[in-house]
Amino acid sequence: MWQTGSIGAEPAGQSVVEGGPIPYKPEKLAKKKENYENRRTNDPEAKCYMPGVPRANYMPYPFQIVQSPKGILMVYEFASANRFVNMGKPQEAGSDTWMGTNNGKWEGDTLVVDVTGLNGLAWFDRAGDYASNNLHVVERYTRTDPYHIRYEATIEDPSVFTKPWKISMPLYKVVDKNAQLLDFKCVEFSEELLYGQFKKQTSSTK
Amino acid sequence: MRIRLVASFLLAAGAVSFGQAPAKWTAPKTAWGDPDLEGIWPGNMGVPMQRPEALGTRATLTEQEFAQKEEAAKKQAIADSQSTVASDSRVGIGPPSYWTERGVPTKQTSLIVDPPNGRLPALTAAEIKLRKEARGGKGFPGEWRGEAESYADLNIYYRCITRGVLGSVIPVVYNNGNQILQMPGYVIFRNEMIHESRVIPLDGRPHLSQDIRLYMGDPRGHWEGNTLVVETTNFTDSDAIGSNGAGYPGDPGHHSAELKLTERFTRVSANTINYQATIDDPKTWTRPWTILIELKRNDNYQLLEYACHEGNVAMGDILSGARAEEAAKVTK
Repeated sequence: MWQTGSIGAEPAGQSVVEGGPIPYKPEKLAKKKENYENRRTNDPEAKCYMPGVPRANYMPYPFQIVQSPKGILMVYEFASANRFVNMGKPQEAGSDTWMGTNNGKWEGDTLVVDVTGLNGLAWFDRAGDYASNNLHVVERYTRTDPYHIRYEATIEDPSVFTKPWKISMPLYKVVDKNAQLLDFKCVEFSEELLYGQFKKQTSSTK
Repeated sequence: MRIRLVASFLLAAGAVSFGQAPAKWTAPKTAWGDPDLEGIWPGNMGVPMQRPEALGTRATLTEQEFAQKEEAAKKQAIADSQSTVASDSRVGIGPPSYWTERGVPTKQTSLIVDPPNGRLPALTAAEIKLRKEARGGKGFPGEWRGEAESYADLNIYYRCITRGVLGSVIPVVYNNGNQILQMPGYVIFRNEMIHESRVIPLDGRPHLSQDIRLYMGDPRGHWEGNTLVVETTNFTDSDAIGSNGAGYPGDPGHHSAELKLTERFTRVSANTINYQATIDDPKTWTRPWTILIELKRNDNYQLLEYACHEGNVAMGDILSGARAEEAAKVTK
């Protein structure tokens, strides 16, 4: 196995959750702990699955906001995930999806995106925080200066949490000269984890 | 023959328009003055990649041939709507026929419009050798034939990695949605399957370093009149040209990392974009060749989330099935 040394380690970070810990229902905490214990193999990020909302917005990969007269497209480098924010008449969620059904509107200078129809399979982070397919996320994007957006997300899921809770953080604009999204097609990095056990075992197995 | 030549397009590329544009139609502009291509433009099944040799240089069907094609399509639609699983059906990976998008018949005789015979140009000698010798003589992974020692024996579409630029546009059995979005300085070409979004800068910036290679390449766009021209380089040599970028038998197949792809998006009527792509890869083909796909606007088409990898149960089943089969042989 490839030893990653300190490359695979994660630096400390402070919580972005407002007002204390995530308000799990007591009986739902065991699942979070189980997720954490098994995060190396069970985190959907490790499997290169679409990251869901809100996690897509604070992974260590860039995303681009495409603001067209027809709507807003969020294009994520990770796993080529994307989500189209409908700015017209709100649409009801069809089947559950990883990136949800996104309906947007303007409140002054703030973009408010209401996200439903999430399948509950994505996690919030590498610590195993999770929700169900009753998850409802309301995001608020407010540009505070040319280089920053204040990002807030209210997270509601009565099957997992005792009450709605909120995260907030700044999003930093990538200002590198010639900044552009590149491919991060991570499937190849996940295949050994997902399917390695099913490969033909030979004396010279690669 | 109802071929209609669009003058500026003809001069630019020698292309043939199959659009039914009214003579006085004026291409609309966005609020900031770019030609307006925004909307949902699904691909349309039913045009073969290569033209049957018997048709020679004839790019369109006759009225009679077209009528036959329409009649066949009607019968197929009835059969699809009534299809059930036959008792002698084999277990396979293909979808039931009622899932299948058959497309609206058109008169186009082949996607390839150049060379004029609608056929692929010859491969270079080096490419013939490469294809034969790839993977120790097994060739590139194309159509799955039961070989499954590893996930790497399956093509990149089965692996849900990507379908590449052209594989994402060339119409296939389902999920043919394309969406074009625009903002000042960018055009975004979004493909439903496998959820690709090509963000194409229009600001004339140089290409990425040649050291950076991407499955979807590095696109740069500019306007030539009302035509969006996108030049893409910096490819890998890990996908193929044809349906799903998979390298199925009969498809144009593997291309080299030297591929230079030039796409032209020309809105020829309110509801039609002629999408033309020229494949220039001298390491692989002995001359450049061009395909033309009519994209028909359909704002009622809903792009769905095609979670290919997330739902790829087949991969585990194929590999574990192959292992079970081997184990059964050993115990016999």
